[in-house]
Amino acid sequence: MLKKIIIAAAVTMFTSTAAFSHVTLEGKEAPAGSTYKAVLRVPHGCEGKPTNVVRVQVPEGFYGVKPQPKAGWKLEKVKGAYAKAYDNHGTPVTEGVKEVVWSGGNLGDDEYDEFVLRGTIAADLNAGATLYFPVIQECPEGLKERWIEIPAEGQKASDLELPAPGVKLLPRLSN
Amino acid sequence: MMTSLRTKLSPPVVLRQVALAILLWLTFVATASAHAALNATEPRDGSVLSSSPTVFKLSFSEPVSPTSLKLTLPDGRPIVLDAFTVKDKLVEITPPADLATGTHVLSWRVVSQDGHPIGGSVIFSIGHPGGASPRTGDTVDWPVRAGLWSGKVGLYIGLLFGIGGTFAASWFARGSRSALNFTVAALCIGLAGTLLSAGFQGLDTVGEPIRRILDPEVWKAGFATSFGRTVVFMFAALALAVLALASGPGRSGRWISLSALLTAAFALCLSGHASAASPQWLMRPAVFLHVAAISIWVGALLPLTAEFRRDGSEAAMALRRFSNFIPLAVAALIVAGMVLTYVQVLRIEALVTTSYGWVLIAKLSLLVVLFGLAAVNRWRLTNRSERGERAATRLLVRSMMAESLVVLLILGVAATWRFTPPPRSLIVEVTEPAVAHIHSAKGMAELQVSPGNAGPVTATAIIMKEDFSPLDPQEVSFAFSNSAAGIEPIRRKAERRGDGTWGSTGLVLPVAGIWAIRVDVIVSDFEIIRLEGEIEIKP
Repeated sequence: MLKKIIIAAAVTMFTSTAAFSHVTLEGKEAPAGSTYKAVLRVPHGCEGKPTNVVRVQVPEGFYGVKPQPKAGWKLEKVKGAYAKAYDNHGTPVTEGVKEVVWSGGNLGDDEYDEFVLRGTIAADLNAGATLYFPVIQECPEGLKERWIEIPAEGQKASDLELPAPGVKLLPRLSN
Repeated sequence: MMTSLRTKLSPPVVLRQVALAILLWLTFVATASAHAALNATEPRDGSVLSSSPTVFKLSFSEPVSPTSLKLTLPDGRPIVLDAFTVKDKLVEITPPADLATGTHVLSWRVVSQDGHPIGGSVIFSIGHPGGASPRTGDTVDWPVRAGLWSGKVGLYIGLLFGIGGTFAASWFARGSRSALNFTVAALCIGLAGTLLSAGFQGLDTVGEPIRRILDPEVWKAGFATSFGRTVVFMFAALALAVLALASGPGRSGRWISLSALLTAAFALCLSGHASAASPQWLMRPAVFLHVAAISIWVGALLPLTAEFRRDGSEAAMALRRFSNFIPLAVAALIVAGMVLTYVQVLRIEALVTTSYGWVLIAKLSLLVVLFGLAAVNRWRLTNRSERGERAATRLLVRSMMAESLVVLLILGVAATWRFTPPPRSLIVEVTEPAVAHIHSAKGMAELQVSPGNAGPVTATAIIMKEDFSPLDPQEVSFAFSNSAAGIEPIRRKAERRGDGTWGSTGLVLPVAGIWAIRVDVIVSDFEIIRLEGEIEIKP
């Protein structure tokens, strides 16, 4: 029991040191070719206002995406064609969810929630690369928080004002 | 009972509990750490108040601690706000009472719990929007001003008596060392004054009180101004003068002393009101000439006096060389001085209606006395003392000492120009807008700030793709910052205008200088282009 608590505490510690006012992903790393559960953590609203809409752009290379419905939120899946075909157990997949919108909710500025989507990371992506999930929070009075900046060459995510959450790719698991 | 207690406190258990406690604590700390964002301010950004506010409030999304809070007044002067309290996520600042009417910029910089600093600016106006309300004397930081003044006077003494003295001794008096003590002392004063000036310039720039003089940030700010370059070249000039003295009489000493003089004159034309005025091709050379000429003249006073007092055989020869050369120097001095005066003052009535004008009148009056003494020396005493008349020589020595004293007074008066804006800059003109072209690999912006002067401005931008084809963004916003003046980013959303440009009114850029600009272009929902560049805002 104690061991479990220590492990849990350690995991929480190491995964939660990132900046919290930004929308972040819970799982910071995932192997290429694996199924990945993207848990988007939304820590607060816009300038003190509640968040009513959360939109996430699905990166190219993350396919077969299924978002998790949330009670009190309307779920919308914007589908489109992928840039290339991905392999789903031998069947090529050429289109799927490109954007997910949770709307009609009311997440207070002083509240916290998570938004989840599950999909597969393309096996041919390079280890060391990062898949970015740009997110927009929409609030009343047309206010928006955009977490959509992707670091350019030589930039770090911490240099950015509006960093998009990302997951770093690990080498493909051999099996 | 005893057994169970012992079991509870057995080393492995205690260790595990300590480890657990530490881990839980770290978890807590880690969860608490966060970037902060500004949620609300009082006064609101861009608001116009009817009276001077009694409190400023900054409300953040996370607990923060302020690292710098500054207010830029309508006349462009910054003041530090050090009366503040922090209540969790709210920073409450007590501003100075009775702020003047016009537009103020509240610049804040805070650090959130994760140690990440963020900053921004809030613009608000009292009474009506606008800048440049008359300078009021009540918030002048006198110790800093006294420091600036003494530094300037020290610098001038080093320049005229030190570097000028070295030059005169080696060129007119064949490297005579009669006034060596004076010259070395003047060089030391010059060094101290120059150094002091850099620090006080920093204090004045960031608006800090005198007790922050040892803060490296203050010095950095001082050196970042145009005066920083003057300081660097002055150091070089002083070092060259020392080298000239060390190399003794002879050709090399003469040429090194000349290069010291030229370096010093160059140093002074790198900063200051006069050098900043246009036309620059005229003003900078005029400053250079003015400084070089006055240094040669004044520099010669002490070595010649010393030579006469010592009754050195060289005295008469030195005086002859000096007298032959000096009309040239005085002519250059007067011509350059007239050019500078004309451009700076522009209108004759400004002589009595501005403090700059009064300083000029005081300086000119002293100059008349100086010229009077010089004329007596030149036409009444020079020939007689060259012939060896003792009485004339005694008078000449006294007269030259008096000249040196008058020069000191002139230096003291001239140093107060540091605090008086020239009438030229007070004549408000509608000038050309400032423009900047900024581009990146993804897009470009043609930014225009009009008028291109410090004060209330309108910023407009044309946004294009990198190949000049049109770009129709969703949103555009501007961020203006000026790190030299301690102004954190002033962020403004731009509005789409009928002609396809994006504009933002109600913006105030309170000080002149190079401003960093960033144009944020939201191209589509998930795509942003940040265009960063610089724009020069004139006084």
